[in-house]
Amino acid sequence: MSDLLADDSEWADVVPIRQYENVNPIAPIFYSEEYKDATDYFRGVVKTGEMSPRVLKLTERVIRMNPAHYTAWQHRYKTVMALQVSLEDELELMDEIATMFLKTYQVWHHRRLILTALNSVDAAARELVFLKTVLENDSKNYHTWSYRQWILVHFNDEERLWAGERPYVEELLEEDVRNNSAWHHRFFVVFSSGVRAGDEDREQTLRRELSFAKEKIALAPNNLSAWNYLRGALEHTHTPFTTVTAFVEPYTASEPPATDVVDLDNPLPSAGAQLPCVAALEFLADIYEEEGGEKTAKAVEIWKLLANEKDTMRKKYWEHRIRDALQKA
Amino acid sequence: MGPALDIPLHVKYIQSLGENKDDLVYHLTAHLRMNAVYWGLTALLIMKHKDALDRDEMIDFVMSCWDDEAGGFGAHPDHDAHIHSTLSAIQILVMQNALDRVDVPRVVKFILSLQQDSGVFAGDQWGEIDTRFLYIAVNALSLLGHLHELDVEKTVGYIRRCRNFDGGFGAREGAESHASQVFVCVAALAILDRLEEVDQDMLGWWLAERQLPNGGLNGRPEKLEDVCYSFWVLSAMSILNKVPWINAEKLTAFILSAQDPEQGGIADRPGDQPDVFHTIFGVAGLSILGYPGLDDLDPVYCMPASVIESLGLRKGWTALPRRQV
Repeated sequence: MSDLLADDSEWADVVPIRQYENVNPIAPIFYSEEYKDATDYFRGVVKTGEMSPRVLKLTERVIRMNPAHYTAWQHRYKTVMALQVSLEDELELMDEIATMFLKTYQVWHHRRLILTALNSVDAAARELVFLKTVLENDSKNYHTWSYRQWILVHFNDEERLWAGERPYVEELLEEDVRNNSAWHHRFFVVFSSGVRAGDEDREQTLRRELSFAKEKIALAPNNLSAWNYLRGALEHTHTPFTTVTAFVEPYTASEPPATDVVDLDNPLPSAGAQLPCVAALEFLADIYEEEGGEKTAKAVEIWKLLANEKDTMRKKYWEHRIRDALQKA
Repeated sequence: MGPALDIPLHVKYIQSLGENKDDLVYHLTAHLRMNAVYWGLTALLIMKHKDALDRDEMIDFVMSCWDDEAGGFGAHPDHDAHIHSTLSAIQILVMQNALDRVDVPRVVKFILSLQQDSGVFAGDQWGEIDTRFLYIAVNALSLLGHLHELDVEKTVGYIRRCRNFDGGFGAREGAESHASQVFVCVAALAILDRLEEVDQDMLGWWLAERQLPNGGLNGRPEKLEDVCYSFWVLSAMSILNKVPWINAEKLTAFILSAQDPEQGGIADRPGDQPDVFHTIFGVAGLSILGYPGLDDLDPVYCMPASVIESLGLRKGWTALPRRQV
């Protein structure tokens, strides 16, 4: 029982076009019968410019075998628009394909085109929900995240779209505090895409973000993403690093301090954390460098420790920091 | 002491890629064919084996991918023109000293037509946008000697908007910093002489932090190492004159351990299947690290330094000195 279009009477009127019809190839190609069959007929309908329901099925067939076949995607999109297919139905059909091929650029670009054509916040909201299911499989998928960021900016609805993002990021960071994509998204939502509803008091927003970053650092100190976030939030708001010295210091010791006092502003490293934390040492050195004067010597001490013991991989970088600081002093 | 770079074996591997056409995988990668030829040729040149692939056959293949309707090159004889395959075609022809085969005005028109209002470039008429395509456009126009036709402010403006809080760059505005996007943005700025848009100290540090305890490099924090980052990260650092911030010994050992000692070629990490993409980027990384027996690579263009110099396009990057053995 053949599955080939060549044996399907519905396709008898189409002239399939073989690969390399008029070209002398560098060497001949042999490939799977089904893929050859599907792409032969695909080339045939591209040549005649046919855009019909059977072409929709054919492009789907090609895409399922080769999701990177960008001409098949292009022709599918043109056909969808020409036939005025329900775009919601198209998205739903593509859900399965997106989940199967989530690392392929074309899958995401197609959705973006469909969503642009739909032009509705309803569709955008549904899309954000769908993306969550994809991110469950691959929480750091670059295409998915960048597509999510585009949806938020393009449709720009505070209540229906933006409002759910910070809680979502928090959920993800509960699952994996080291998810750099989630940390990036949080920064994007809070600081670099306008002011969220409720975040109008920028000082309070900053306090909240610093508190969040510190809490997560306390949980798992050796997490570059969280320290980058802390750094980024301070720099973005032109807040001196020295304002967090009391928080950073305990992370640079070899052991947690022996104390029962709980300081909510300066959460201590959780039990079992590996200390001293390299990122904290770097941060403290940056604080001393920022203070300058006699503190520079303390920065140099830390950089020497990093170069010779704690972060020898980047020895030359730490030596550069030392030279650089001594030159400026 | 680990394995050395087995140049003869990798040359054979690249030559064999033109022969294994009897399986589905070869056809499924048709959309990459032009890129693959460019990767293979560049690797051969850096390994000093230019003549390992037939020049005329290669030029004929490139020209068979010309899409006369669009005025650009597709990835494969029956594929529509795309900016990526167009650049690869130009790079191949430049390295083969056959750029005279190209209808330059038409290609320039095709490339410029893909710039969007925002300053970014699309890959083709389908409209996918990415800073990769912006770099590709800048690179191609400069190789064709038509960079002066580009709206530089508009282009640089888009890159600037892709700069993130960590000093890195993403694929689009708002997207996460990623080493390969960092490379394309930094290299594009280098060609346009606008490196002042980069916070070089901060980005240099972010790039240095990509090195993992096993010596390999990753593309973002908390992700796995991959040989291809030996190029994306290292070339960006070379452009920023900060290659010494990477532990060369450990990275070299990592790349060499990802070679396939039987069939040749380099994989994404030790033990995996090799492919031509990781082969060129592994070799490119080694060249920048000063590995003996290789030719110099220009990190901005990912082409032989001598070729770029002869075109008068060399920028102020630095690599580690070539070791004598």
